Amino acid sequence: MSYKIAVASSDGIQIDETFGSAKRFLIYEVTDGICQKLEERAFDEEETDCSGTSQASGFQKNGENGTGGVCHAKSGCGAESGCGNGTGGGCGGAGEASAKVELVSDCRCVVCKKIGFHIQKQLERKAISVFDVTCSVEEALEKISHYFIRMDNHESLRAQK
Amino acid sequence: MAKLLDKQRYKCALGAMQTVQAITRAIPILHSGPGCAQKLSDSTGSSGYFSPNIFPCTSINEKDVVFGGVKKLETTIENALKVIDADLYVVLTGCIPEIVGDDTGEVVSRFADAEKPVIYASTAGFKGNNYIGHEQVIGAIIDQYLEKSEKKEKGLVNLWADVPYQDLFWLGNIRELEKLLAEIGLTPNTIFGYNRGIEQINKIPKAEFNLLVSPWVSLSNMKKMEKKLGIPYLHYPTLPIGAFETSRFLREVGEFAGVEEKKVESVINEHENYYYYLIERYADLFLENRVINKQFSVVADAQYALGITKFLANDLGLVPAKQFIVDDTPKQYRETVAEEFKKLNYGLEAEAVFETDSYKIHEQIKEHDYHGYPLILGSYYEKELTESLKGNYLNISWPVQDKVVLDDFYAGYTGGIRLIEDIYTVAVQRFN
Repeated sequence: MSYKIAVASSDGIQIDETFGSAKRFLIYEVTDGICQKLEERAFDEEETDCSGTSQASGFQKNGENGTGGVCHAKSGCGAESGCGNGTGGGCGGAGEASAKVELVSDCRCVVCKKIGFHIQKQLERKAISVFDVTCSVEEALEKISHYFIRMDNHESLRAQK
Repeated sequence: MAKLLDKQRYKCALGAMQTVQAITRAIPILHSGPGCAQKLSDSTGSSGYFSPNIFPCTSINEKDVVFGGVKKLETTIENALKVIDADLYVVLTGCIPEIVGDDTGEVVSRFADAEKPVIYASTAGFKGNNYIGHEQVIGAIIDQYLEKSEKKEKGLVNLWADVPYQDLFWLGNIRELEKLLAEIGLTPNTIFGYNRGIEQINKIPKAEFNLLVSPWVSLSNMKKMEKKLGIPYLHYPTLPIGAFETSRFLREVGEFAGVEEKKVESVINEHENYYYYLIERYADLFLENRVINKQFSVVADAQYALGITKFLANDLGLVPAKQFIVDDTPKQYRETVAEEFKKLNYGLEAEAVFETDSYKIHEQIKEHDYHGYPLILGSYYEKELTESLKGNYLNISWPVQDKVVLDDFYAGYTGGIRLIEDIYTVAVQRFN
């Protein structure tokens, strides 16, 4: 079983970006506990201007090996994201944030330096775990993949001494 | 195979946060998930200067499971010291940090130089219930805070009895026992309840001996204090309720402490005279009304099961049916506790059953022939059962739902009278 991890890092070494300020996410894929960098996803603020009546937003996928390409997706505050619908919940109008959540919606978790309360709730609603930590990307990936492999195999998290 | 436990009568070891709360101006700092204190703070009488709602908590979540919660714990302790004015800070660990391996002891040791004492107790739920947690907290105070004292204060006795909050009558009981000790000329020292706090804890090493009134809870603490602080202990396994046991209690304590026999006997005499004056006056109720049951069962922790069984058999002349001990007494104590149930007057013996599963307890009560209406003294779980058996029921152990107790008590001579009042109130209500 494989899953993806989104990492907010400016240099790929240190987790140094907050979720809000991150211009891109590094996407790693973990297959059977082995972690590999898959792609980088840039977040284009201009294209995702949600102000006014526009509900459209977009993002780009820049596949490293050229398989990515540009795509546009209708997302944001509409019904698709599941957080609009006039029900509020503190995220109804946060167009940019929602688009950013959409950008990583296929990931199992997000790793960043800090994250706001409401945006974390949006992610959690999509069953995406959030780890706001300050450490190296390598350390984070190692710990997270170790954790998920234990969870998936119903193994104890008891510390090995 | 996984076992299902029906209606258990205790909480997890983290429930010992109530032991900390019972020490005035001591506050627990919880290294646990955000729901633990909420779940554990169900009892009444826990609001006040510190209440479970404001206990500092690391509220650890998934992130801390993956990356460790040590940093969060450090900042939580640091800030608790800044914003909460307490005399003693006790860090208590829940299950999660202990499973993933947070080194709480190491973090707490960084606060060795703090202005106020910070200690920690390992109270993970998988280590035991809140009776064990209570022992862990007392143990932490002995291990990490108390120092041996060469100076001893004449007549000073540390008194240990019930588990605060778990026991409905903890406050009243310990005050009544204090009063009795004072009457025979000793100076009791306790750390729980009003006006008892760090000052009393500081006095512990100066005591001539420790007095433990409990079948097994805190016995390990007494041994620890004997070893570390050089304080001998007297273990009196039965909570004295009523004249017979209380007089025996005073004689034994008096002898151990070297109190003059004449003094002890005069105190006993005075109390017994009044006690039996009351019994005599109400003998008509006891003998003629025939409202009371012939046989009884107590469903409670070892402390109450033993104390009440002895009282009802020795003082009221009732016949014990099976007695159920529900505190998950550790195996090494079971034999000696069960033996105590066989030391009743009139050649009576009671069978003690160690059982934590309410379903099994209820089945055994239903099967037994009580030769009439059963008298069941137990927790709220026994209410419906007793009603279905048309018996008399009194709520004396956790969980308690139909009773409010501020500082009432069952210990001592007066406590015995209170218990008689409660039992007969239930009995006469049946016909009126």
